Amino acid sequence: MASLRRNLLISLLVSLSIAATLGGYATYRVALTEIDEVMDYNLRQFALSLRSEFLGQPAPPIGAPDESLDFVIQIWDRQGLRLYLSHPHSSLPSQAQLGYATVTTPDARWRTFSVAAPGRVIQVAQPLGVRSTLAAQAALRTLLPFVAMLPVMGGLIWYLVGRGLRPLARLTRAVKNRQADALEPLSAAGVPEEAQPLVEALNGLLARLATALATQRAFVADAAHELRTPLAALQLQAQLAERAASPAELAESLAELRRGLTRATHVVAQLLTLARQGPDAQGRKRREPVDLSELAGLAIAEMLPLAEAKGIDLGAGKLDAAPLDGDREGLRSLLANLLDNAIRYTPAGGQVNVSVCQEGPRVLLEVADSGPGIPPADRERVFDRFYRRDGQEESGSGLGLAIVRGVAQAHAATVELAESELGGLAARVWLPRSQS
Amino acid sequence: MRLLLAEDDPMIGASVQRGLRQEGHGVDWIRDGREIEPALAATPYDLLLLDLGLPGRGGLEALTGLRAAGHSLPVLILTARDAVTDRIQGLDRGADDYLIKPFDLDELAARIRALLRRQAGRADPVIRNGPLSFDPATRQVTLEDQPVALSAREQALLAALLEQPGRPLSRAQLEERIYGWGEEVESNAVEVHIHSLRRKLGADTIKNLRGVGYFIPRVE
Repeated sequence: MASLRRNLLISLLVSLSIAATLGGYATYRVALTEIDEVMDYNLRQFALSLRSEFLGQPAPPIGAPDESLDFVIQIWDRQGLRLYLSHPHSSLPSQAQLGYATVTTPDARWRTFSVAAPGRVIQVAQPLGVRSTLAAQAALRTLLPFVAMLPVMGGLIWYLVGRGLRPLARLTRAVKNRQADALEPLSAAGVPEEAQPLVEALNGLLARLATALATQRAFVADAAHELRTPLAALQLQAQLAERAASPAELAESLAELRRGLTRATHVVAQLLTLARQGPDAQGRKRREPVDLSELAGLAIAEMLPLAEAKGIDLGAGKLDAAPLDGDREGLRSLLANLLDNAIRYTPAGGQVNVSVCQEGPRVLLEVADSGPGIPPADRERVFDRFYRRDGQEESGSGLGLAIVRGVAQAHAATVELAESELGGLAARVWLPRSQS
Repeated sequence: MRLLLAEDDPMIGASVQRGLRQEGHGVDWIRDGREIEPALAATPYDLLLLDLGLPGRGGLEALTGLRAAGHSLPVLILTARDAVTDRIQGLDRGADDYLIKPFDLDELAARIRALLRRQAGRADPVIRNGPLSFDPATRQVTLEDQPVALSAREQALLAALLEQPGRPLSRAQLEERIYGWGEEVESNAVEVHIHSLRRKLGADTIKNLRGVGYFIPRVE
């Protein structure tokens, strides 16, 4: 695994080495220029001094020079005849131009200075290798302390990076040691600026988790609470059945008990539907092409017996083909709940109309009834889980519209309650049309 | 006894009303918290059964209101809220007892009897007056230690008269004690039941104070 500390150490050391090498090379170049100047000067002075030495003398009876002498001296007479060569084995050319010149011979490169004296030409030559060696030595001398310091630098970098990362290690421990339900934000105290976004992002995640968890807990608590009511009714109805003194009374009590069971079953089914619509369940939902009109037709057929039993005229208005990408089961319960509400709250003899039509890029589903409607002030709250309006005789689960909203949200659809043309409530759902 | 039931759930309300009527109580049922105080002002109820999740006016709010208005009748809270804090709050606001849904009908009846007994200042669960005794729990009436078979209405009428021996109750008061709203009351129902009681318990058991009402003489 990539270690920040190791990566920093290696990259810093490599950078430092590159910088040192470049510095060394620069030193070498500068030193070489300076050495060139000094040495050229020396070369010239040496040649000139030789000239004055030979002035007016017939021949140069110079003995073999010291072996350690780098300079090679040549002397010619006017006719170009070499009178003297200090290092006989050297391969310098036997002619020269006056002044400075650089000459390359098979074994070395030379810097030469030639000067004319009366009756002679004197040339002093020096191998260039001497100069570059000197410059390289100068460069190495400047590099040496750095090379010696490299291990120390490495150790220092290792330590300092480690110290800089210590707040991250603390953060890691703080996160690791948490209980699963400890969702309070992490402290940003002592965390370096660079790690603040991480802490903020973590805290954001923790806050979202806390909200989701609180919602779940509230849902479970609400659900448990809401189940008590139908269960209480069941217990009472069962006890009344036990007490029944006559067959007629028993039959009546059992019928009551059956209604209570139907209601309890309905509440449980609605709770399950709602839990399946929860935000955590969305990711697992399968989308498939569905036709909303077809689903609406099926829902109407399913609800027809209930509507007829209550004397309500349930039917469809316009049912345009409305292809969607959706969750069939979710849309089915959306339709069932809207229809159930409409039938439940519309008095006998009323009318419930379902229509599906295209509206631009969206599909509009409308369930309109001739019931008492809902005053505008209440139209938002009725979507809350377990909310029941005051003075409501009907005993719904209080979950129908919460389910409708959950399904709508999962489909990126909007829900609106308004007044219907029939005088009652109109529930309108706008769904985005299929992409294809 | 005449009880007021404030409960918004139709199934629970219907069952409690039916079950308590079988126990011999007159039970009136309202579904809105705002109807509690007018009902208490109009009828002298012996006990209030109060659901906390009432529409209109929440049960606790209604309770605070009726206590502030000086109603001292026993109040039994029936609720699905089971948290300890809810129970404490309910009792501190003036309730006398607290029963959590789902509950047992027999337990509810027993708690009602206990509350009514305490309200009447009695410790003995059996109401006694001379040779006559009535056990509200078993609804058993005995005369000289011999059980006497009475109808539910007769029992309710006898219980009302035995509650405060020596104090006459008018025909209207007796009707109110034994019939809930909407129950069919024949014009001479009280007289019929009194006649039947006298026949079963002895003519002198229940006295008539002309123009005032009926009473059972206190026997020490």
